[in-house]
Amino acid sequence: MAGQAQILPGNLDLLILKAVSLGPLHGYGILLRIEQISRGALLIEQGALYPALFRLVRQGLLKPSWGTSDNNRRAKFYELTPAGRKRLHQEAADWNRLVAAIALALGAEAEEV
Amino acid sequence: MRFVASLRSLASSLLHRSQIEGDLDEELRAHIANRADDLERSGLPRTEAERRARIEFGGQERYKEECREERGGVWLASLWTDVRFGLRMLSKSRGFSVVAVITLALGIGANAAIFSMVNALLLHPYHFRDLDALVRVWEDRGIDEGYDARYVAPADAKELSTHGELFESIATYEIRSFSLGAGSEIQPALGCRVTANFFDVLSVSPTAGRLFSPGEEQPGDDQVAIVSDGFWKRRYAADPHLLGEKISLNGRMYSIVGIMPKDFDYPVPVELWVPLALTPEEQADRTQLSLQVLGRLKDGVMPDQTGAALANFSRRLEQDYPKTNAGRTMKALQLRKELYVFTLPLFLLLQAAAGFVLLLACANLANLVFARMIGRQREIALRTTLGAGRGRLGQLFLSETLLYAIAAGIVAITASFASVKMLRTSIPAGWTKWVPGWNGIRVDGNVLAFTIAVALGTGLVLGLATVLHASHVELNNTLKETGAGSVTPAKRRVRSALVIAQVMFAFVLLVCAGLTIQGFVRLADIYRGFQPASVLRVEISLPEKTYPETVKITNFYQQLVRDAASLPGVQHASLITNAPASNVDNETTFFNIEGQPALKAGEAPSADLQIATPDFFATLKISLISGRFLSEADNIDAARVVVISPGMAQRFWPGDDPVGHRIKLGTANSVEPWVTIAGVVGDVRQNWWNPTTRPVIYKPFAQSAQRSMTLLMRTQTNPASYVSAIREVSRQIDPGIALRGVATLEEEVNDSIAIIRIMGILMGIFGLVALVLSSIGVYGVLSESVAQRTREIGIRLALGAETPALMKLILGHALKLTAIGLAIALPVSLTISRAMTSLIFGVVSMNATIFAAFAAVLLLVALGAAYLPARRAMNVDPMVALRYE
Repeated sequence: MAGQAQILPGNLDLLILKAVSLGPLHGYGILLRIEQISRGALLIEQGALYPALFRLVRQGLLKPSWGTSDNNRRAKFYELTPAGRKRLHQEAADWNRLVAAIALALGAEAEEV
Repeated sequence: MRFVASLRSLASSLLHRSQIEGDLDEELRAHIANRADDLERSGLPRTEAERRARIEFGGQERYKEECREERGGVWLASLWTDVRFGLRMLSKSRGFSVVAVITLALGIGANAAIFSMVNALLLHPYHFRDLDALVRVWEDRGIDEGYDARYVAPADAKELSTHGELFESIATYEIRSFSLGAGSEIQPALGCRVTANFFDVLSVSPTAGRLFSPGEEQPGDDQVAIVSDGFWKRRYAADPHLLGEKISLNGRMYSIVGIMPKDFDYPVPVELWVPLALTPEEQADRTQLSLQVLGRLKDGVMPDQTGAALANFSRRLEQDYPKTNAGRTMKALQLRKELYVFTLPLFLLLQAAAGFVLLLACANLANLVFARMIGRQREIALRTTLGAGRGRLGQLFLSETLLYAIAAGIVAITASFASVKMLRTSIPAGWTKWVPGWNGIRVDGNVLAFTIAVALGTGLVLGLATVLHASHVELNNTLKETGAGSVTPAKRRVRSALVIAQVMFAFVLLVCAGLTIQGFVRLADIYRGFQPASVLRVEISLPEKTYPETVKITNFYQQLVRDAASLPGVQHASLITNAPASNVDNETTFFNIEGQPALKAGEAPSADLQIATPDFFATLKISLISGRFLSEADNIDAARVVVISPGMAQRFWPGDDPVGHRIKLGTANSVEPWVTIAGVVGDVRQNWWNPTTRPVIYKPFAQSAQRSMTLLMRTQTNPASYVSAIREVSRQIDPGIALRGVATLEEEVNDSIAIIRIMGILMGIFGLVALVLSSIGVYGVLSESVAQRTREIGIRLALGAETPALMKLILGHALKLTAIGLAIALPVSLTISRAMTSLIFGVVSMNATIFAAFAAVLLLVALGAAYLPARRAMNVDPMVALRYE
């Protein structure tokens, strides 16, 4: 599957927070949302999603609740808590800084050194 | 916030465990169903869509396990599962569990039993307020050894109590035996004369009545007594109206004013305390070191600060009273530490031995557990494949070994109630009554806490060792293999190392046990020359009131000895100040040798002083080396003579015969007369801790009578049958005299070395346990190695290997392990036994035979343990072996 990138460990949490920040979702929904917002560029191991979700719930960043999915299945929905929202902003900012710095470094030309 | 959320998650996961498990299942199912819906929409048939969805999802069980771990509290929940699993394993392999629990229980139990002694004797010998501030003070003349010789001159004690720099308060006391009662009812009673503040210094109060008042230290106003709880219960059947009762002590009437609490037995278990009422002359005495001193340090004064201050104080006394105090230095030692002198080395040794037994038990169990791990490799591999992480596996093993350790701890604690009681009662009360805290040896909170800590510690160490050992399981090979699991060379080395360690511990323990037992036998032998089984001993103290002066004392004793000797069947009767094996040090004295320059006090020669009647040497079969024994002619009117020991002759007249030389007892300026050495008599070992070759001077009783003596009688038949006869003889002369310590000399000898015997027995038990455990270890490793090599052995047999060669192979393996263990153990046990020789006062001496014998025993046991596996190897059928696996 060319054009797809494996996610670095730790970044999955950030992506989940981002996906959920756009509205409450169940696990499969989160998976689809990440695919959608990354335009299919990111590959997520489906099962690996759930340990990450449990971790975020334990950290108090997500709040789970049972509801009904579009196709009338009982499903567990996750939404962002205020702490989760704060964390998302912070980590997104961190990420952008990091990416900018690395991009800058990689774009350096010989005469700039 | 995060913390609260974690706690909530933990709590809910614990409270709603099954519901949460259900939720997790449902959530994952929903995910897969949703995915399958999408796949179906893209054109796949439903069954194919569901299959694809499941494959895409990945290992469900693994992710579930990860989810559980993320949720928190999983360890608690899974711990319960593990404990239940462990219990099932325990009951499933019952044989293994029994061996494991017994092995550990032996190790833990040994430690609990010895610790109960350490706890009672070293940590809590007394129950006084602020025990660490209590010190014993004595004047050291440079010649006194042991703690029987820790006394202070009355005037010096008085001066010290007004000194006030170090001490909050100073009490003085003197242990005395009294004749209690009057007429035919007379009985001996051990008592203590104490200053009025004695009980305040110790900070104890009576359960009934009052303490002494300072006014009662005046001679004449001192006829009051405080009695022990035991006195009240034994002699007066706990009579509630005891206070105010009158008792007769040494012919004087005393009224009882107080009763002390049950566990109060300071300085030794005595029956009563009376005021120490000294006359002004006695109080002013600086020549006799006659009183014992106990001080309570001021707040903030550390016990180790007292040395310099007391040295200064002694120097001042020396300047003020050069005649009496020259060469004396006051010293102080914490009450708690005074006891250590005697007991610390013994119990440290025992505790160390018990620790060795536990280590050995651990090594043994570790080996058993590791061996079983091999059988469980498939299980471990399966657990790993299903998502059990290293931590999770570790928890499983840890809870299993902890279960063993806890079970062993429970067994050990249950058994310790009986074994500790046995320990306490196995030494005759005659000896242990002098050991403060002995009756406090019991399984108390401290011992329980110690035992539980040891059990848990053992379980943890074993569990962690197992985790480390089992952590690298090769998944693919193990799961594919159909036969038993395999052992890597590294793991086999670990197990060999464990066996080597066991052999080492066993050897060290056996050598220590052997040396101790040999020491005991040697000690018992030392006294054998006296033929103690046919000697009766009786202690007598004449009261000052009825025997104020020498003539009356001499008359009483000479009459007693004459009458005792004329009893039918009595071969010899004699008197001695301090009979052998009394567990009391001899009095020591300075002396000067005529013709040699008089030396300053402290540098002058010194010797033990004994007073004896002529027949003493015949009574104990002590040989004559040169000159003559003491004789009846050496009476009060004759020239002053003494006889001395060979130790003294060799030290002060080397290469010369001391007979005819004259010495003077006391320091250079003493007023004692010159006495002539009349003879040299054979060496006598006074007590087990005294060297045989101490210099001893024997003075004839007729020339230096004193009130307290021991009567010795050699009898033709059983000496015990003369007890009533000697009582009657004494009663005929003076009905007011109480006889104490009536026993055969053999009983006395046995009592005096009882502690060594107990040590020998305990060490022997530890050594045997060690031997059994290490042979189990050798057997275990070799059986497994044979089982592992069945195929190899089969091939060897098929290729024509002879059975003797095979036998040699297996037995050689056992011998190699044992030999390595012995090679390591040899220097270790040499060091330890050298420490033992210096620690326990010459009881133990090096003995190459013991080393060689136990090395041989261990090698033989190893061969024996290897024999069964070797036979099994020889009986291997090549066909079966080759098909094996």
